[in-house]
Amino acid sequence: MSDLRYAVRKDEAWELLAYLTASADLCTREPHYYGTFRLIDAASRLMGFMLANSEIADGWLSDFKREVDEKKLWMLRDRPGYFEFLNQVPANIANHMPSEPRSRE
Amino acid sequence: MSRGIPDAKASTLGARAADLLRIIVTRRVVRAFTPAQVSEGDLKSLLTAARWATRASNTDVHRFLVIRDAAAIKRVKMFSPGMLGVPTAIIVICTDPTLAAEAAVQLEKDMTPWIDIGTAAMNMMLVAHALELGACPTTSFSKSAVSAVLKLPPNVVPEFILQLGHPATQVAVARQGPSTRASIDDLVFWESYGKKSRIG
Repeated sequence: MSDLRYAVRKDEAWELLAYLTASADLCTREPHYYGTFRLIDAASRLMGFMLANSEIADGWLSDFKREVDEKKLWMLRDRPGYFEFLNQVPANIANHMPSEPRSRE
Repeated sequence: MSRGIPDAKASTLGARAADLLRIIVTRRVVRAFTPAQVSEGDLKSLLTAARWATRASNTDVHRFLVIRDAAAIKRVKMFSPGMLGVPTAIIVICTDPTLAAEAAVQLEKDMTPWIDIGTAAMNMMLVAHALELGACPTTSFSKSAVSAVLKLPPNVVPEFILQLGHPATQVAVARQGPSTRASIDDLVFWESYGKKSRIG
């Protein structure tokens, strides 16, 4: 598998940078659970960039992004369900990430 | 309203009120839009609705900045985590401290300018819904970044962004599932705080 498979383009990196810094500012005045929403939304955006630039289709990632985009909106109407979903997201990623992620060190 | 008297005038007024209430009750926030543009005529209708919104002391401390340029909207969206979709037009309600000073409005202490933003925004959202447009109120954005992106004059503050466009999906109340709104019984007291019933 090529290390460049999930490369993020320059404009996408700037978009994510803008989003994350604006979200950090908003976290100083919005309800705390909105911060969780910004982070999971940022994760969705990153997945979108990864999928747009991937050399081969990633069915799991595509399905997972779709699930995140649906369930992130539970924050507005089913907060316990939303928090439970957030609790499961990291494990879901851990179970599907490449077995030997390359370190920068 | 009819007050139980079925005369023609009462029926007409009742129908008008029912039409307005239907627009109010069926309005929903729309976050996904088609690429179709919002017409200038529709935008003018929204802005007319904003112009006629109630405002404290009959003052005008706000200005409405209409943006239709896709590149500009994209840059605003970059710094607006509350914008989940891609609107084809936005209306930015800005506070102008110079206008506030001229009207002796103390922005640091007075909350009524915010109420004025709310009434103008609500009027616009209701007209948008009546025109079958989608609208989404937005306050989750970086004011400093949006000021920079839109090159606002110094001290002019972007307070609120109304996202506009044609809904990407049919907005049906039934699609929303059970209402999460509190009932009138939960919201309203009669004559004294805590008294639920009008009777007794």
